Amino acid sequence: MTTKSDTKLIRTVCPAHCGIDACGILAHVKDGRVVKVEPAEFPDPKYRRICLRGLSSLDITYHKDRLKYPMKRVGERGEGNFKRISWDEALDTIAEKFKAIAAEHGWPSIGWVLGGPGAGTTKFGAYLRLASLTQSTRVSAWGYGDAGLPCGSRVIFGSQFPYALLFGNLLAGKAEPDMVVVWGANPGESQPLNLMRPIMDAKAKGARLAVIDPRFTVTASKADAYLGVKPGTDSALALGLMHVIFKKGLHDVPFILRHSTGPYLVRNDTGKYLRGQDLGLEAAQEYVVWDSAGNGPALRQAEGVVPAIEGAYTVSGIACKTAFQLLKELCARYTPEKAAATTGVSADLIIRLAERIGRVEETIFVTHMGFTRTYHGDISLRALGTVATVTGNVMATFKGGHLPAVLNWKPFLKAVPDKPSYSRLGILQLYDAIISGKPYPVKAVWFSFINFLNQCANSGKIEKEVFANLDFIVDTELFMTPTARYADILLPVCSYLEFSDLVPHPYPFVQYQQKAMEPLYESRSDADIAAGLAERLGFSEYFAGGEDGFVDLLLDSRDPSMEGITREKLREGAMSINAIPEMEEAFDIPLSTPSGKIEIYSEGLVEDDQALPFQLDPLESPVPGKKTKYPLAFIQGHSRFRTHSMFANVDTLLEMNPEPVVEINPRDAGERDILDGDRVVVYNDRARTKLKAVVSEGVSPGVVNIMQGWWIDQFEEGSVNHLTHDVINPVQVKIYEPNMHMNDVAVEVVKVK
Amino acid sequence: MELRLGLVIDQERCIGCEACTVACKKENHGSAGFIRVRTQNVEQKDVPAGKFPELRMTFMPLVCNHCENPPCAAVCPMDAIEKRQDGVVILDQEACDGCGACVDACPYEAVSINEEGDVAEKCNLCSHRIDQGLEPFCVICCEGQAIHFGNLNDPEAEVGRLAGSETAFQLLPEQGTGPFVFYCPPLAPRGV
Repeated sequence: MTTKSDTKLIRTVCPAHCGIDACGILAHVKDGRVVKVEPAEFPDPKYRRICLRGLSSLDITYHKDRLKYPMKRVGERGEGNFKRISWDEALDTIAEKFKAIAAEHGWPSIGWVLGGPGAGTTKFGAYLRLASLTQSTRVSAWGYGDAGLPCGSRVIFGSQFPYALLFGNLLAGKAEPDMVVVWGANPGESQPLNLMRPIMDAKAKGARLAVIDPRFTVTASKADAYLGVKPGTDSALALGLMHVIFKKGLHDVPFILRHSTGPYLVRNDTGKYLRGQDLGLEAAQEYVVWDSAGNGPALRQAEGVVPAIEGAYTVSGIACKTAFQLLKELCARYTPEKAAATTGVSADLIIRLAERIGRVEETIFVTHMGFTRTYHGDISLRALGTVATVTGNVMATFKGGHLPAVLNWKPFLKAVPDKPSYSRLGILQLYDAIISGKPYPVKAVWFSFINFLNQCANSGKIEKEVFANLDFIVDTELFMTPTARYADILLPVCSYLEFSDLVPHPYPFVQYQQKAMEPLYESRSDADIAAGLAERLGFSEYFAGGEDGFVDLLLDSRDPSMEGITREKLREGAMSINAIPEMEEAFDIPLSTPSGKIEIYSEGLVEDDQALPFQLDPLESPVPGKKTKYPLAFIQGHSRFRTHSMFANVDTLLEMNPEPVVEINPRDAGERDILDGDRVVVYNDRARTKLKAVVSEGVSPGVVNIMQGWWIDQFEEGSVNHLTHDVINPVQVKIYEPNMHMNDVAVEVVKVK
Repeated sequence: MELRLGLVIDQERCIGCEACTVACKKENHGSAGFIRVRTQNVEQKDVPAGKFPELRMTFMPLVCNHCENPPCAAVCPMDAIEKRQDGVVILDQEACDGCGACVDACPYEAVSINEEGDVAEKCNLCSHRIDQGLEPFCVICCEGQAIHFGNLNDPEAEVGRLAGSETAFQLLPEQGTGPFVFYCPPLAPRGV
């Protein structure tokens, strides 16, 4: 491209925590300053994109409020009074403090609280490497909103994410669906943002679009049908859809038989799958089906078996039903009218959507975290997955395409193979570890790329109990965020234009986030900061290669997906991960569930009464028939003006979206004498949050929405997460780790007189 | 074929994100982005029309229409606004004295006086870019891929095809301005 000769063009990546998007960025550099960013080219022009936040990159890098040098706290925690110190003093202090705390309480009492690294890898990896070397605690941040979906996905699909199975082909540009159902996600404005283009492409080619959301989002505005479901009732909707599908015989029997546990027999007495050992067979752990051909039980993989999909059978005196039969019986109770009464979606719409999903060739379900941030959000995800499974819309068969990018993480994180690694705590479990020392005490925390106080549940508890019980807090930040005010040592980090990283996104591409300018002021990259501390803890040899050394380590092609991809080549642009050739015959994707199949029935959750995707009441959100102390369900949408709490302090964006507002339906506003633009207080037992009301039909009656990510100091009083709770769902602990249920909160709203 | 450079904005693809506004502001350093997104049929941005759950929300990006007969140019006492051969209506800020006649003359509210109050500003269709063979900056930054740029006279080009489609429309055609910006309306919901 043509530019003035004194301007250098550097291809880099915006790794903001849109995660799977990672727009390629062409940085225009003049005299060491980045003067402009634009969307970089991609091998496929469909991937060339940027957003209003990415376009505001320089407002972050050159923001007048950037932290400029290391500081130590001089006032009370939270006051924001700090004194400039040198990097040496900062790192020496941290090393000494960590050693002293570890000597008294053990290294696991040091917790690395690493939030959303976005699409970045080495900054995250550098700290984990240090956590591993010191055998301290990695505090997993999945639980701050993102653990509900993996909990559900692990149970039904045996994978952390359901994305590849539900919409992998859409991401890879290989799908031509008849129908797209966006459920609990708003790709027009938030993750998975990079799906909005393929969704609209599919729609242009004739696909119908249905959107399921308590808010009428941008994505919903593009829909052929909008289902305004009440928060926390998604499972009821799924059961209602399946009721219709089963009643009309629209389910995909061959798919259910081949890919799911539907035909497997389940014992009536224990609720467990019937196994070979129950029949005295040598294949003791093997699953058993009812063979319609032989009219008797058979191991699932036995030759010539024709498994029965439904029915009740008695085998060796043990009464059983197929898993599908159990699902069908559950769904039989969820007539469209009953589902409508729970969800708020009309019975007619439920029937029509079910019939269309059942009748068309291919429906793609696009989903994300929104509806899984409810107390039983993991079950909601399973319910969605079950609808996709019984209609044959899980991409459980591989027909050629791309391998997933497989980075060489293991040696990177676990630098010394034989040594034990870090301990792991979920972020919601961290509260208790700090407050009451359970399951073990955490005395010091290191925050990086996380605005913990602002973004985690129950901010008041964090202020009063979590922070108050910590001996030492380190934060690496760009700005004086609400969290940074509580740090004992505050370290200035680089913006993305000032350091290098590897970004294995967007699928199916890998990109190099190339440093475009020298770090401003005394800021350092997180990888450099980790290296500085490692040196003081005696681990400098593991950080000798710097950021690029880490990038090379990750790119080391032990896996065929990374073959031929090098840092040097990535300087020029994004590279496609290796495609595998088209298969002549389709083969089943091996799933990591206990059965290796899609588990529409989970025997591991029998004791918890959650073996099937039941509709269970939300924790706080009001649903019909349940008495709650506060009448309105409070949810937190994700705004295009921020990525979580990033960009909340950018003037360009504040001009367009100046302050937090609570959206309330005219019906609820009328009952409370609230007019558009009034100041109101949103409150519950935990907090009062004062802000402006926007009266909008865009939220369901009975629901109020505040876009998450505003900083606490941008509210007159309270904040979004002062209203949320930190209640742990023990079933999620058992499955994986507990989630914060930001969309399962009840409030009342009152006008400020 | 006569060159008639213009835009086609596809409301079906516009997701109202305002990346175009930010892109314009960054590229052209105007006091406001020269392309601004309205939410149709309501006063407030991002609020749907209708009653829950029967709702509609349509976004309308508004920009200089690069008119065939630009009323702004006609009233400019300084001759600072010119319709170029290729169709672009250029406001030359060097020649402008900030009198504001163009602001009043434009039926599209596409011209404004800058923050300092001394000069008019509007979209020049990124003439500094298109003269180098590049697309306007809002076009390459549009998240929805809703803004198309090119020769409206070329039936082979995407803009020509879209502008010639049955449903394409111009804003205020009755004013006789002859806009070089066309819109494609959103598809009506088809239900399921």
